[in-house]
Amino acid sequence: MKALVFSDNGDLLSQALSFFRSKLEVDAAVYIDKPESVAEYGAKTIIRLKGEGFSDNISDALVDIMKEGGYDYAVLCSTATGREVAGIISEKLGMDVSTEIFDFNFSGDKVVTKSFGFGGKTVLEEESGSRVFTVIPGITDASKVEQKSTIVERELKGSSITLVQTINKQTTSVNLENAGIIVAVGRGIGKKEAIDQIMPLVKAVKGELAGSRPVCLDYQWLSEDRQVGLSGKKVKPKLYIALGISGQIQHIAGMRGSKTVIAINKDKSAPIFEEADYGIVGDLFQIVPKIVSSLQS
Amino acid sequence: MQGISVPYNIIVLIKQILDIDQMKTDPSTGEPIVQGVPFRIENLSKNAIEAAVRIKEKFGGKVTGIIFGSEQSTAAVKEAYAMGVDDGFVIKGYAGKNPSVTARVLSEKIKSLPYDMVILGNQSADTYTGLLPGKLSAILGVPLLGNAISIEPGANEVKVTRVMEEQNAVLSSRLPALISVAQEINEPRLPPVLQIIKAGKKQITVEQTSVAVTSSVKILSNKAPRSDRRREVFEEVDKGIPTVVKVIKEAMR
Repeated sequence: MKALVFSDNGDLLSQALSFFRSKLEVDAAVYIDKPESVAEYGAKTIIRLKGEGFSDNISDALVDIMKEGGYDYAVLCSTATGREVAGIISEKLGMDVSTEIFDFNFSGDKVVTKSFGFGGKTVLEEESGSRVFTVIPGITDASKVEQKSTIVERELKGSSITLVQTINKQTTSVNLENAGIIVAVGRGIGKKEAIDQIMPLVKAVKGELAGSRPVCLDYQWLSEDRQVGLSGKKVKPKLYIALGISGQIQHIAGMRGSKTVIAINKDKSAPIFEEADYGIVGDLFQIVPKIVSSLQS
Repeated sequence: MQGISVPYNIIVLIKQILDIDQMKTDPSTGEPIVQGVPFRIENLSKNAIEAAVRIKEKFGGKVTGIIFGSEQSTAAVKEAYAMGVDDGFVIKGYAGKNPSVTARVLSEKIKSLPYDMVILGNQSADTYTGLLPGKLSAILGVPLLGNAISIEPGANEVKVTRVMEEQNAVLSSRLPALISVAQEINEPRLPPVLQIIKAGKKQITVEQTSVAVTSSVKILSNKAPRSDRRREVFEEVDKGIPTVVKVIKEAMR
C-alpha cells in the first residue's frame, strides 16, 4: 500500500513520515523552501511543489499526483493549509476522511484510527474505509533513516487566489515540542507583567515558557507559538510545570504526553490536579520564589 | 473602487454543539455523559456571525444563517437573529459527525440562495475536523480564503488576512468567495435584551434534508483516556516545596 504524505511544514512532515514509513510505502509532496531538510525520514521520493501555493492549486497538484502515482492513501499534516487541502481533495477524489488522528493501524482492508472526541475529553477509536487523513502534530518523534529521498520538482498551476502581501509574525525561535522542561502559565497569573515573576523559575530549570489558550490568544500575554493545547502545540517534556492553569480539557490535550506534571494553583478543585503527579495548593507568587531559591541553594 | 458602498448577500454557516465544557465523563467507565448537557452555538460560529453582521452594518446587504441540526437548532437561530442575522434556515437531519454529509446538505441549500460571501468558522471545538471549508469550496467551486482575521470586501473581490503557523498573508479573490474565520477576528457581541425578545418572534424556516446519510465509519470506542498520574497534592505549601524541588532536580539531570 502506498501513501502520499503532504505538508507545508518540514517538522510535521518529518514526524508523519517517521510514523507512517513502517506501515506503508511513503512518498512526500512538500510546499517548503528546503526539501533537502526532510530527505532523511523515509520518503522514497519527495515532490517539491514550486510556485505560489494556495489551498486550491496545491489540492489540484495532489489530486493529479495521487492519480498518476496510484496512491492508496493521502496523509496531510494538520496545518491551516493541510486541513483545507484535505477537505478539497477528499471531495475531488471521492475518498472518505478521518481527521486529526494520532494513531493508525490496519484491520483487514479497513483502518483503525484514534483521535480526540468532545474537545479532547475522550479518545475516539474508529474503524473506517477512510483514505484521506489529517494527522495532528507530534504523532511521533521524527527519526532519520539511512536511505535518502530522491527530490523532484513540480510546478504548481494557477490559483483563483492572489497573494497581496506576506506579514511576518513576531515569533521567537521557541521549540516547545523538543523542550525537556516546560513552565506553563495560565489565566491564574492575573496579568502580563506577572510573567516577570515567573521567569526566574524558567531560567533556574533551564526550561521553555509556554501558556494556555487564554494567555496566548485571548489576552496575548504570550505569543501564539507558545500556546499548549488542542488548538496549539502538543508537547511531551520530561517535566511540565503548570502555574495558575485550571486544566481545561483543551489544555490537557496538549500536555498529556508529559512524563511528569507539577501543578500549582490556588483552587483546590482545579481539574489540573487530576492530571498532575505533584500538586501544591496555594499562591503561586509565594511558592515560585521559594522553589527558585531552593533550587539555587 | 474605494469608497463605493456595495450591499452584499452573506450566508453564515452556524454550528450547534453540545456544551462540551459542561460535559463530564463517567469516572469509572470513562464513557461520556451527554444526557442533560445543553446545546450551544459553537464559539467560532459566533465569530462568523459577528464578521458577517459587521460587513452588513458597514456596507449594507443581508445576512442569512443556515444551520444543519435538529428541531433544537431553532434556539441557535434565535440567538443569531439577536446578533443581527436577518433570515434563518434550520435543516433537520443531523446525525453526528460526518463532514461529507454536512458539506452536501449545506452546499445544496447555499446553491438555492444568492450569495457574495459564505462565512463559517475554521474548525469546531468538539471534533476539530476542519474539513468543511475545503469540502464546501470543492463542491461549490468557489475560492476558499481560510483562517481569516480580517475581511475587506470590495466591488467584485474580497481581501482577507489569513493566519498561518509561521506567517500571515493578505490574500484576495473574486466574489463569490468562501471565507473561514479564526477566533482572533473579532469579539462576538452580546445582544441587548430587547434584541433577544424581538428575535424570539421572528420566523425561522425549518426544512428536512433529502441528502442520504452514508458512512464507512464505525465507532469502536469513545471514552475518557485513563490518567495514570500520581496526584500527590499538598495543601500545605511548605510540605510540598521540598518534594517539588526534588522532582525538578531529577528532571534537570
